[in-house]
Amino acid sequence: MKKTTLLLSALAAFALPATTHAAPNKNLNIYCWSEYIPQAVIDRFAKETGTKVTVENYASNEEMLSKLAAGGGAYDIIQPSEYVMEALVKEKFLHPIDRAKIPNLKNIAPQFLNLAFDPGNKFSVPFMAGTVGIVVNTDLIKTEIRGFNDVFKPENKGNIVVLDDAREIVAWALLANGMGVNQITDKNLNKIKPTLEKWLPLVKVYDSDSPKTALLNGDVAVGVVWGGEGAILLNKNKKFRWIIPAEGSHMFIDSLAIPKAAKNVESAEEFMNFILRPEISKEISEEFPYLNPNLAARALMTKKELENPASFPTDEEMKKMQIFRDIGTQASEIEEIVTTLKAQ
Amino acid sequence: MAGFAAPTGVAPPPGAHHRTPGLLAWIILSPLVLWLLLFVVAPTLMLTAVSFAERDALGRIVWNFSLQNYFRAFDWVWLKILFQSLYYAFLTTVICMAVGYPAAYCIGRAPERWRGILLMLVMVPFWTSFLIRTYAWITILSKEGIVNSQMISAGIFTEPISLLYSPFAIVLGLVYNFLPFMILPIYTSVEKLDNAMIEAAYDLGAGPLRAFSQVIIPLTRPGIAAGAMLVFVPSIAMFAITTLMGGGTNPMIGEVIFKQFTSGRNQPFGAALGTILLLVFILTLWLARSQRVKEE
Repeated sequence: MKKTTLLLSALAAFALPATTHAAPNKNLNIYCWSEYIPQAVIDRFAKETGTKVTVENYASNEEMLSKLAAGGGAYDIIQPSEYVMEALVKEKFLHPIDRAKIPNLKNIAPQFLNLAFDPGNKFSVPFMAGTVGIVVNTDLIKTEIRGFNDVFKPENKGNIVVLDDAREIVAWALLANGMGVNQITDKNLNKIKPTLEKWLPLVKVYDSDSPKTALLNGDVAVGVVWGGEGAILLNKNKKFRWIIPAEGSHMFIDSLAIPKAAKNVESAEEFMNFILRPEISKEISEEFPYLNPNLAARALMTKKELENPASFPTDEEMKKMQIFRDIGTQASEIEEIVTTLKAQ
Repeated sequence: MAGFAAPTGVAPPPGAHHRTPGLLAWIILSPLVLWLLLFVVAPTLMLTAVSFAERDALGRIVWNFSLQNYFRAFDWVWLKILFQSLYYAFLTTVICMAVGYPAAYCIGRAPERWRGILLMLVMVPFWTSFLIRTYAWITILSKEGIVNSQMISAGIFTEPISLLYSPFAIVLGLVYNFLPFMILPIYTSVEKLDNAMIEAAYDLGAGPLRAFSQVIIPLTRPGIAAGAMLVFVPSIAMFAITTLMGGGTNPMIGEVIFKQFTSGRNQPFGAALGTILLLVFILTLWLARSQRVKEE
């Protein structure tokens, strides 16, 4: 998931401030993921509305959260994933949105609205979603792979890339043991430990930023990666195949929200509505092929884009998807469990 | 860093006596003092304070005094990771010294008009962004990369071997990035080397080996010590290279601290690990210093 390196986002800082020629009397400060909103889209918004837009990037939800929690930065738009959105809603960090100002919300498929992290979408509008799945280099692996248990087999030792994300890895082990991704209790964590002990020594590369690199370079033959990364690999070479794990998987939903401390609420709502326009949303999908929740945008997309299985899971596969809930202080323990097993 | 390097770099001239700096000296020094206070002393104090605190579900710091972070830190896992990081840093320092010393020596003894150009050549790669250079190594070392394809077409390898995402790649990346920090201080020492001393050694019957080990090495020692410190200290906590080139399978202490601050949402625990790392640095420096004092 667009977790392009922290360092890369520092590089991107050179290119950031999107200034406009029109005398700007409106401002908008966006704090968003790196590699997620194309610069062209931001420039167009700036030009069309005469708004002076500044963009800052983050590489992880927690980086954004810690900055917000510390009271830093007066941002008008943030872009958290579902479980952090849940925490922000719970802790009353967000400004309620005025639905009348965002008529384009009607373009969003109902299955991405009214979810547990923000019932009734009082605070958020969906931006993009995506799945986590398996990419196989069929030139190198001839056996059939259907799920996590087929990936983490001794014969694939040293040939696997996975996301460098403790919560994800723990979620896969829970699924492989027939539990839900949010059933994180001490008892369940103990139950999945043997699975992780078996899995982690087989891994060659941990990479959340660009797991496709190791697959493209032939350093590994199979990976568990973000759907957007998988979609790019599938477009690049026919030897790559995408599989939604038989055990089920995690679907993430990244949304736009307005922090309570925002100074330019009106511009923020204007931006939300702009992003939800079909042609704009389609443009974002072209550059970053995640699961677009915008039905009107999907109507404009090519058959090839829509048929990319890593971008758009089938209805059958959608049923196997689970959404992360906020786990609060347990995040630190999960981090410790995975680190311990990596260092074993 | 200035605080670490200074005691190793300058030996007090013979007969020097301590003088209290005058007002002018303090005015000249004030930017540095202010910089040190703001960006070294204050963050260190904040880090130490946070390491005794707790945190809430959002990762915000709760100011309740607690030793729990330190109890948790003294677990074999973290110690093992710390030792592993120290080991990689040590290996990097030794290799940098073995490669950097001859290079620095040759540059320092080269004709004067060449020195500037040679030094420039050491620095040129570092005009490119760190990240781009690291990604370049990924392209070079990968299974379908330049090294493997050349070796196969030359008939040396029969099939591509895994160079990237290995301990070899980690050490290569660290050495490559920190080598100039070894070469530059040694070069400074070599440049100041008094030829008369070396000639005296030969006149008194020393062979090249003895002249090198008993005259040249001791005279360039401040440079070696400064270089070793400049390579060793940042190598311990450097995690960008270990994750990008090592594949993240060997967690390093810097990465572990970073993750507790971010995805672990546990700044106090990360701070406790950071404070312990700082204590290890202080201990190392203190040991190195007392060793030197004893020798003098």
